Amino acid sequence: MEFSGVTRAYGTRLALDDVSLSLEPGELTFLVGPSGAGKTTFLKLINRELRPTKGEVWVDGIAAHSLKASHVADLRRRVGVVFQDYKLLPRLTAKENVAFGLQVGDLRISNGEAMDRALDALEAVGLGDRGGSFPHQLSGGQQQRVAVARAMITQPRVLIADEPTGNLDMEIAWQIMALLENIATFGTTVLVATHNVEIVRRLQRRILTLVEGRLVRDQPAGGIGRMAWLASASS
Amino acid sequence: MAGLGIIVKNALPRAAMARTVVGNTFRYLLFGAARNWFRNIGSIAPALGSMTLLLLMAGVAGLAGFAISNLEHVESAQASLLHVYIRDGASSGDILSLWHRLAADPRVASVVIVTKQEALQRAESIPGLPQIASASESNPFPASLDVQVKTINDMAAIATMVRTDTAVDPVNPSSYDQGAYQRIQTVIFGIAVVGLVFLAVLAFVAVAVTINSVRAAIHSRRDEVTIMQLVGAPRWMVRGPFVVEGAITGALAGAAAGLATFGLTLAGISAGAGTFTSFAPGVTVSVAAIAAVIVLATGVGLGSGSSLVSVRRHLES
Repeated sequence: MEFSGVTRAYGTRLALDDVSLSLEPGELTFLVGPSGAGKTTFLKLINRELRPTKGEVWVDGIAAHSLKASHVADLRRRVGVVFQDYKLLPRLTAKENVAFGLQVGDLRISNGEAMDRALDALEAVGLGDRGGSFPHQLSGGQQQRVAVARAMITQPRVLIADEPTGNLDMEIAWQIMALLENIATFGTTVLVATHNVEIVRRLQRRILTLVEGRLVRDQPAGGIGRMAWLASASS
Repeated sequence: MAGLGIIVKNALPRAAMARTVVGNTFRYLLFGAARNWFRNIGSIAPALGSMTLLLLMAGVAGLAGFAISNLEHVESAQASLLHVYIRDGASSGDILSLWHRLAADPRVASVVIVTKQEALQRAESIPGLPQIASASESNPFPASLDVQVKTINDMAAIATMVRTDTAVDPVNPSSYDQGAYQRIQTVIFGIAVVGLVFLAVLAFVAVAVTINSVRAAIHSRRDEVTIMQLVGAPRWMVRGPFVVEGAITGALAGAAAGLATFGLTLAGISAGAGTFTSFAPGVTVSVAAIAAVIVLATGVGLGSGSSLVSVRRHLES
């Protein structure tokens, strides 16, 4: 995945300002920065919810910046997304939600097979016994794990997560992060936008720091460097 | 927590795969639309009612237009046919003389003698006239010479020419009525224009009602739509159910309006059979059935077409 000179403006305000970077397969990267730094805008550009005002966004060989509306679904099926508010379909059970993520991309998958694979994915996130539950019958952590299962069931080349632990207690947050680490080990590029200092410090992965739309630091894996602003943001 | 595994997809035989694709398409498109339709029936009901009423009015207006069109054809065919009524008691020689005179006239295409008996038989096929015939002890319908004139413009001259002939009834010499055909044509043209405007207004209202109904459905399910789009659902999977929902609304409205149109027409034909006038020229049970089917098809077309317009206008990619 590659950003090349990407700028995104909302009117006169720059949400992202000339950002260039690339992410490699199998890499788990954190995207950090204060509120309003441009993290969500960054993620939305990957999923083509937004177009850049200037620059290029390449995702798995697809030019997301110039993609026609009619081909956006093709891109989104290659990008798994985990949202802070889970975004599960309320009228479907956990298993159906996960299976839906699979079948929207490939109608050749029978309902039975999709359900079996959804159950496998739910077992992988520790919810094998809650497949028949509707979202409102699950806790926040459980709903987030269903969302992770839905995002990973298609074995996407890229997985983006916007504050995936934002609504969860630390124990559940660590479980979610362990899942995302696991997914990255299978070659998926995983990008996690977060405010959670504890997680970022402890996992010691690559860290991209955005401040006022600019990529002010690209910290390689193995060290965390100075994160004073992040500590203050989380306090 | 269990570890992650690689999921391997087995290849399906082609026929089984086709069945799966069709089944999934049916499930997401038709079943999903039907389920949503029933779930949202409360918000759809006003659109369904309005559309039914509008289609019924359109069906009745269409049948009326058909009858008027038939009337126009009948009138135009009869416009160049002049009935010259024979006086009771006229001699065969006088009648033959008049026949020869007319047949030799270059403005006349053909002349046919219609006896009193034939006139009576003809009258019996016209609604209402048999009662007149049976009310009289003798045959009240006169014999005539049916003169087919080559051009309508010569009608007046031919009618004037025969009026004083000894074989012709001096009181009611012919069927010629100056300007009658032109007056009928003017009236029919006016009715056609008003009818077309009326149908266009009905179509516009039906489309507007359906577009608003689908817009409301999109609005009420916008979160669901957003999620589907974000997980990569293709356009047809997001938009299709709304279009099918519109088609279901249109089909139900069309079916109800079609049945009502058929029923009203049958009632009209039945009532018209007992009166002095034909209910509507050319409108038979078969025509009423065809009209009902057209109303149904129009409902499906209007419903799905309007939904498509609404989805394209109100659903972002």
